[in-house]
Amino acid sequence: MKVKIALAQINPYLGDLDKNISKHTEFIEKAIENKADVVVFPELSLTGYKLNDLTQEVALKPCDTLLSPIFELSKHIDISFGLVEKGEDEIPYNSAIYLENGKVKNVYRKIYLPTHGMFQELRFFGRGERVKVFDTKYGRVGVLICRDFFHPSLAFLAYAQKADFLFAMSNMPLRGVEGDKPGIQYMVEHTAYVYANFFSEFVVFVNRVGFEDGMGFYGGSFVETPFGNVLGFSGILKENLSFAEIETEDIFYRRQSFPLMREEDFYLIKRNLDSILSSEDLK
Amino acid sequence: MTKLSLNYKLVKEFILDFIKEETISNGFERGILGLSGGVDSALVAYLAAEALGRKNVKALLLPYKTTSPDSLTDAMLVVKDIGIPYEKIDITKIADPYFNEEKLNNNLRIGNFLARVRMSVIFDKAFEFGAIVLGTSNKSELMLGYSTWYGDMAAGIYPIGDLYKTQVWELAKFVGVPEKIINKKPTADLWPGQTDEGELGAPYNDLDVILNLYIDKRKSKEEIISMGFDKKLVENVFNRVYKSQYKRTLPPVAKFSPRTVGIDFLYPHDFKR
Repeated sequence: MKVKIALAQINPYLGDLDKNISKHTEFIEKAIENKADVVVFPELSLTGYKLNDLTQEVALKPCDTLLSPIFELSKHIDISFGLVEKGEDEIPYNSAIYLENGKVKNVYRKIYLPTHGMFQELRFFGRGERVKVFDTKYGRVGVLICRDFFHPSLAFLAYAQKADFLFAMSNMPLRGVEGDKPGIQYMVEHTAYVYANFFSEFVVFVNRVGFEDGMGFYGGSFVETPFGNVLGFSGILKENLSFAEIETEDIFYRRQSFPLMREEDFYLIKRNLDSILSSEDLK
Repeated sequence: MTKLSLNYKLVKEFILDFIKEETISNGFERGILGLSGGVDSALVAYLAAEALGRKNVKALLLPYKTTSPDSLTDAMLVVKDIGIPYEKIDITKIADPYFNEEKLNNNLRIGNFLARVRMSVIFDKAFEFGAIVLGTSNKSELMLGYSTWYGDMAAGIYPIGDLYKTQVWELAKFVGVPEKIINKKPTADLWPGQTDEGELGAPYNDLDVILNLYIDKRKSKEEIISMGFDKKLVENVFNRVYKSQYKRTLPPVAKFSPRTVGIDFLYPHDFKR
């Protein structure tokens, strides 16, 4: 099946929900005009990143009527976007919501919240607990948010549930300006290449652009096919809506020609992990 | 000596976007800066003119009676080359009454006072022009504390604050700042004959490599000395960084309320409602 993925590399307004909802609908409408099947936004696309004490003020329940323009558009296209989710436990989470046919299909809460150097996420967010996958009309999707993507263990959990697509919704600030591209982008590309090839899945990396308090997010969004080809590259530093047209049969071909998934023994992994975790040495 | 080389095309694009976006998120469309004739302010002027448009960047030439005539000539060279509006205000008549009253002859006090007079003029003119003050401090001087607190450090944004001096030279070349300005000896020009490298005790080539090893590569003093750098120089660099930390942070607030400025009132700088 042919699937057209739209990568919404946007520059959100920090802490301004109204303006960001307009920006979302603008990008979603453009994706619909271009006959995309799904549009993927970056992490915290509805709020911006460096919220700090604003975190509570922009937190929304997924059912909030403020979001209805986006829900409405999801009757025409699948939408994955980021927000500060006000949980049913009244804790704010750094979450990604997936909408399909006007309804919430999935909510993913970021698990690894970086809190070191320029990052302060654990000061403001509750921590997610589960990597779940969900079935869409074009295949099974797992979502990770920014730092989660650099934890192969989380990508592995999506793989263990046989994800066909791994979405990496990010807010990666630029650091490293020695090479041809931002230093951090090399790491992202290598990671995507490894996951796509070894987990025989499509990796959809969407990163934002723009500056907040001096930190500059660099974009560089793209889709990596299970054969390690890069599609739909969005360029760096500028807002862009790029498209990747993919063929889902590639997953089948990849799993035939390089059958790592068939070989995988998840119970063996579990036994090993259980034994490692119950070892006295760890206590 | 290893050169701290960067991809200057990427750096330039990044800083241009930074100036554009941070100017707007601070509520301005224009920028203003003091233009000394040195490479730092020249570079910021070129970058700002490209980012905000030539008409939206104003240069202030603020000589004192001891300012070297070369500095003014070079500042004019920049103004003419970019084609930005400028004003020249001689600060002698502002500063001298105070110096005479105080019978000042201490270079450091005079230098700091001049830097703060320039700051006052720049911020007043910023108000008049409706502009954000563009800082021209680079990473070397910010880290070494080689600048006047609330003087030349006072600014709305620091476009080149993450570039070491040797990288400023390289980016200036890339951007097309006149060679004459890039090649001259760095000086704060606060008194005749003053040079940065004379005061700091080593060429920027050495200082920057030591700073880079310590700050960016997280090497210890001992590790850096064991790499063959002069022990006294390394210690001098570390001491300058330690001693000037107060300049790089908000002043401590005596905290007793639930939410205190600088401690736990943590709204982002760029937020506007």
